Amino acid sequence: MSTAYDAIVVGAGPAGSSAALTMARAGLRVALVERGTFPGEKNMFGGVLHRLPSLEEVFPDFWERAPLERHIVKKGVTFMTGDSSFSTTIEAGNFDRPPYNGYTIFRPRFDRWLAEEAVKSGATLITRATVDELVSRNGRLAGVTILDRKGELSAPVVVAADGVLSFTAKKAGLRQPTFDPGQMAVGVKALIDMPRELIDDRFGLVRDQGFANEFVGCTGGVRGGGFLYTNYDSLSIGLVFHLGSLRTSGKTPYDLLNAFMEQPQVDKMIRGGRLQEYSAHVIPEGGFNMIPELVGDGIIVAGDAAALCNATGVNLEGINLASHSGVLAGRAVVAAHQTGDFSRRGLQVYRELLDDSYVIKDLKLYRKAPHMLHNDRIYNEYPELVCGMMEYIYRIDGAPKENLSKLFLKTAREKVGLKNLAADAFSAWRAL
Amino acid sequence: MNIDEIFDYTSFTIDREPHIVLDPQVCVGCDNRGCTNACPARCYTWSEEEKKMTFVHDGCLECGTCYVVCHRNAFTRWRYPRGGFGVAYRMT
Repeated sequence: MSTAYDAIVVGAGPAGSSAALTMARAGLRVALVERGTFPGEKNMFGGVLHRLPSLEEVFPDFWERAPLERHIVKKGVTFMTGDSSFSTTIEAGNFDRPPYNGYTIFRPRFDRWLAEEAVKSGATLITRATVDELVSRNGRLAGVTILDRKGELSAPVVVAADGVLSFTAKKAGLRQPTFDPGQMAVGVKALIDMPRELIDDRFGLVRDQGFANEFVGCTGGVRGGGFLYTNYDSLSIGLVFHLGSLRTSGKTPYDLLNAFMEQPQVDKMIRGGRLQEYSAHVIPEGGFNMIPELVGDGIIVAGDAAALCNATGVNLEGINLASHSGVLAGRAVVAAHQTGDFSRRGLQVYRELLDDSYVIKDLKLYRKAPHMLHNDRIYNEYPELVCGMMEYIYRIDGAPKENLSKLFLKTAREKVGLKNLAADAFSAWRAL
Repeated sequence: MNIDEIFDYTSFTIDREPHIVLDPQVCVGCDNRGCTNACPARCYTWSEEEKKMTFVHDGCLECGTCYVVCHRNAFTRWRYPRGGFGVAYRMT
């Protein structure tokens, strides 16, 4: 194995395949290297695929072509305590018309499709290949080696799209040698099989409509949250934990997931379903402040490898940012091939394109959100406050009512303290 | 969901060669051992009697949690499995 390419992409996820697609369409010889037996085999997420404007340019009929599940018309947030919950949902007519606002997907199907599109455009997909080392010659990056295979793949430039831990970026000296658990989260997910009609009836959906719900107060006091998404004939349900908080809690993700699924209101939603698959992955949640060096000599970092993930607590964005950064990385490599300059300086255009895009602009805008979310009250006291207040408002038992604003202040004083309430409101205001 | 039955839910192509190797001496001196509770697949078990950390790679989901929570850098090796091995999601 010793083949020369114009570019090597490490990892055939949304970032890598978007980069490979962009470069192949511009006529470059691209190797798209994936360690799974097929792209998507190693990938999971607990989320919604949001719109991909850069891919919509390539595929105007993207939403017709891609293997998608339901489009999300209904989004909800649930505040939860032991056996009570308070939910709000938004269902918008605009979310039910193309261009749809987001979809549920299965990664082993979606990621595979996107990689196959890159192959159709001329990229060479190499599966079952775990990239091992970066090869340098005469002080320049010259290619990569594959674990347990002889020879090397050579190219003047590498796109590191190998996911959140990116050992490729680490070996190039672009990311810190260790991660701060305070900037990382882990998501665990159960895929639950359920007949389509039952899902439609239970969640009030018709046609291909889907429902996405986030939960707060369901993580046993560990900082984090829950999610439930509807696929055609299955539910994705899971929890996300901040790793710094999970580590010291002594609690386990699977016990907390079981407790979440047994909570009476959640139990009703998933009852009758059967567990099909359990999965987990780490998520870079540090936002703008944890973005590594994005460009080095002969190398560009994209997607989760570049920590391009926006977890504000309201929307959770990752695949869209990954795909967009991949397209921009591809464009930067195409430009570098025109000048022949693959140095850090020659590839710097990637940084400029990214800075100028919604990817970095949004991460910058919400740069205070990760810090704001490091507040235990959000996961304990506030859900209790909300559920307690609502329960009081709706309870009619012959006891004389209290003035609601007075009651709110009294409950807030008991649960969180007024000083904390004011500080948290200010912090949330500034972060969002 | 019973984590002991993970092989009933999730598919793996198990490599005989582990992709993660620990220096057990480092774990003996660890004051935290967050890996034992944070690992979503319960691959790490600490025996208080034997003062020994055991890691089994068979059901590893390759999620990265241990790599992040281990603050003592107990790994003499932490890489992904060789191509074609490890966890194989079908529809998640």
